[in-house]
Amino acid sequence: MKKTSLWQLFATFFKTGLFTFGGGYAMIAILQEELVDKKKWITNQDMLDMIVVAESTPGVIAVNTATSVGYKTRGILGAIVATLGIVLPSFLIISLLSYLIDAFQSNIWYQSAFKGIQACVTVLVINAFTKMFKQIEHDVYNYVSFVVAFAIAAFTNFSVIYLILIGGICGLVVTLLKQKKSNKKLVVANVQDVSDQDTEEVDQ
Amino acid sequence: MIYLYLFWEYFKIGLFTIGGGYAMLPMVIQAVQKHGWLTSDQLYNFIGVAESTPGPFAINLATFVGTTVGNAQYGFWGGVLGAVVATFAVVLPSLIIIVIVSKVLERFKTSKVVQGVLYGIRPVVVGLILSAMIGIALNVVLPNVKLTDLGSASVTPFNWVSLVLMCAFLPLSRIKIKGKKLHPIFMILLSAGLGVLLFGVLKIPG
Repeated sequence: MKKTSLWQLFATFFKTGLFTFGGGYAMIAILQEELVDKKKWITNQDMLDMIVVAESTPGVIAVNTATSVGYKTRGILGAIVATLGIVLPSFLIISLLSYLIDAFQSNIWYQSAFKGIQACVTVLVINAFTKMFKQIEHDVYNYVSFVVAFAIAAFTNFSVIYLILIGGICGLVVTLLKQKKSNKKLVVANVQDVSDQDTEEVDQ
Repeated sequence: MIYLYLFWEYFKIGLFTIGGGYAMLPMVIQAVQKHGWLTSDQLYNFIGVAESTPGPFAINLATFVGTTVGNAQYGFWGGVLGAVVATFAVVLPSLIIIVIVSKVLERFKTSKVVQGVLYGIRPVVVGLILSAMIGIALNVVLPNVKLTDLGSASVTPFNWVSLVLMCAFLPLSRIKIKGKKLHPIFMILLSAGLGVLLFGVLKIPG
């Protein structure tokens, strides 16, 4: 990984903040293009883990992601610079708009442009989703918990926090069980090895 | 004094909401009503604006509340200071928590416990993204309808034009020209232009 300059970090997140419509998930597509494909600062797997951290901790998901990328690439200073970058466009635009809110809301041209943007944002989120889906391990456990989590999040008002908490606990249990099993197998294999050697010795 | 309240309320909001901007909304409404900072009308109007302007929803909301509160009390520069205070306060918990969590994760990356927990949360988060994706898509073609209340929803006009736009953008976002895909930012600018043309100039209802 090449060393990232603080300026680059700031500029990347400023650009991302400026073109993120519709919340953190639309941002993922822009970040993937910028950070994974173009600049190669992180991998898609890193990206998914950062989203996992961003979702599981308090705060704004977009800000959490920026902070975590900034920290990963340039430490604490990077975290501050990236966060400043993602927040600044909002801050400037909204500060201005707060005084012009009525004119803004009734502006037919902006409303039309925004309808177009909404269609595009949907596509960006679809792309972000397919990329992230490829990053999970493709086993039965992952598929089942993916479908269950989706169904609960989509069709009920069940709290996201508990969903993540339960997911983490289940993952931990499954991983530990798997390990126990493979340890047993290892022991069995060792025993077999030993007995094989025994028979060999007997043969000799 | 008002800035201290602003900082304190927004710091709490940043610290105690998990699940992003929309999860913050109830706490924002509560704080705003408790201090009499904005009228409900002002707030709900702005929620629409915050959704349609660039940037994270929660940051937009924090900046707006800060500006309005400061401006009402101390005029223009008071508004600017209010925006700085509220925005800084909502971001600060993230900054602290994420740096600590990243540090811990870095150190314990190979631990079986951390790996197991991440293994479990990854598919859940991807499921959440799918849920958000369907929510967003639904909102585009059927405005004001939510998945959780599909059964009781009154019928709103189906937005065919946006559906066609979506279907056109999807392959467009994946084709490669000289080995490069179209940049998402370019796609957003293109879609804004198309929106103006279709809904503004040609006045297609949608």
